[in-house]
Amino acid sequence: MGDLFDLPFEEEQDQPTAQEPPTDGRLRATPAPPHSSPPQASPRPASPPSVPPLPVPERVGEVVPAALARPIAAPHERDRAPRRRPGASSGRALTVGQLTAQIRHLLESELFEVWVEGELSNCRLWNTGHLYFTLKDSSAQIKGVIFRSSLRYLRFKPEDGLKVVARGRVSVYDPKGEYQLVCEHLEPQGLGALQLAFEQLKARLQEEGLFDPARKRPLPALPRKIGLVTSTDGAAIRDILKVLARRHSTAHIVIRPARVQGEGASVEIARGLKALGHVPGVDVIIVGRGGGSIEDLWSFNEEIVARAITLCPVPVISAVGHETDVTIADFVADLRAPTPSAAAEMVIAAKDEFRARIDRLADRLRTSAVGRLRTLGRRLQLLTSRPALAGLPSRVANRGRHVAELSHALAHTGRLTLQSRERHVRSLERRLRACDLRQRLAHVRTRLVGVDGRGAAALTRRLHRATTQLRECAGRLESLSPLAVLGRGYAVCWNADRTRIIRAATQATPGDRVRVTLAEGELDCDVRDTILDSAPRVQS
Amino acid sequence: MADPSIRDFEAAIAELDGIVKKLEEGDLSLEQSLALYERGVQLSRFCHAKLEDAERRIEILTDRGELKPAPASLQPDDTDR
Repeated sequence: MGDLFDLPFEEEQDQPTAQEPPTDGRLRATPAPPHSSPPQASPRPASPPSVPPLPVPERVGEVVPAALARPIAAPHERDRAPRRRPGASSGRALTVGQLTAQIRHLLESELFEVWVEGELSNCRLWNTGHLYFTLKDSSAQIKGVIFRSSLRYLRFKPEDGLKVVARGRVSVYDPKGEYQLVCEHLEPQGLGALQLAFEQLKARLQEEGLFDPARKRPLPALPRKIGLVTSTDGAAIRDILKVLARRHSTAHIVIRPARVQGEGASVEIARGLKALGHVPGVDVIIVGRGGGSIEDLWSFNEEIVARAITLCPVPVISAVGHETDVTIADFVADLRAPTPSAAAEMVIAAKDEFRARIDRLADRLRTSAVGRLRTLGRRLQLLTSRPALAGLPSRVANRGRHVAELSHALAHTGRLTLQSRERHVRSLERRLRACDLRQRLAHVRTRLVGVDGRGAAALTRRLHRATTQLRECAGRLESLSPLAVLGRGYAVCWNADRTRIIRAATQATPGDRVRVTLAEGELDCDVRDTILDSAPRVQS
Repeated sequence: MADPSIRDFEAAIAELDGIVKKLEEGDLSLEQSLALYERGVQLSRFCHAKLEDAERRIEILTDRGELKPAPASLQPDDTDR
């Protein structure tokens, strides 16, 4: 947009002219003198520098004249200033200015497009936005500059020690008698420019602590709404929706469409993250795209996306390309999914995990409650069976009440337990039915049969066991009831008006009337004799 | 389904966790055990309901910040499952 105004003139503006010698002592490019413009091409590109990449010439490592075949600035023209006669009369000698002008002419017309390979050093960015540096190898060095207008097209940051191939022209600065390389483009060697940019940004963000595991937020237990930042035409969205549909998830998804490759994509992605992060209910966001080349995935290596992920108010899952593609977004995201489908699985997995956890808790709840009741029941049994029947008549009334309470409680719990188990089994059956086995993937099917199938069988078994248990309990309770004791042959002897239980023979005298309660019915009796020395005999 | 005594899913599951632990450890009276058990059942029912609660919906968030239903092309294709 503003590029149109990033004209070559700007370079000149910042370059000192002969009238204004540079104060920084650095070599600057000067415009070619009007009288010596080279025949083939202007020393400067006529148009603003266009975007790389440019082919690297086969012969790097040396200065390659653009036109090898072309003879150098007419050395045999006799009427030109003689070069080999420095000691000649002043009339025939060149001024320094003339010589310099010739040198400049020679260099600028011959070396107006060269590729040079070397190592960067002394890189300094001036507040004009131009970058000055020295390019060197083991035997020589040359000063160089890359103007702001070209610098902005570099994807990586030129740093000391980097091996690069520079494309540019040689320019001479007359006042200092110095020459320098005016670069239009730099290409890192070894690593590609993108790879290098990746490493640089990665190092920087790591330094900032943005990859710190402590920063990673857990996924929500139960996502209310799942945010999705991706292209609506891409493979990623289809994969994700397919997984959610296949898993019968009832997810609520909010999609923020964004281009995921090409110029401006990173800005759209970053904006999408920000917008979705503020939609009420969205508590996890998947950002990603399907596979592609490193250039296709590049948006996810840009700082603006990385920052948007770290600033997002809810956890972000990155899902870029295939398993082997690693982007900066993956490092800063709260969770990295190897693929978009995997991201969807992860979101649902949380739900599955919770379902399992609740089932386990409910199981333990039942087990522990039933266990508790059983313990209490056992204690009761011990109590009633121990000092046993000697004191039974006096406690019968109390016990009876206690037993009644317990049996009521147990029946209540039993009912609850049974109901909830039945409900659980029904819900499992429902879930089993809901799974259309034909359509599921093989591993899901295996899992279902393996886990849910087993689970259902176990539940049914448990239900059986619980029923038996309940029956046993009821039986035990019955055996403890006073009626049951009487059923075993015991009887209770009362005084005539049934206000007092007769425990000893001395409590009655011959001629008294007593009542005897049996398991079934009562007897109205007359006492004929009292026998005090008879030992109580218990028959079972 | 709205139960004022249950704040949200996470709170419910935490409380359920606590109840189960108490029942498993504590020497509780019959009445306490029963009360906890009933509460536990209530909580687990709530959690299950919550899990199945959400409805399936796909929406698009537009540039203007509006939520619109996704176009048919993005709605899951039933034959595709």
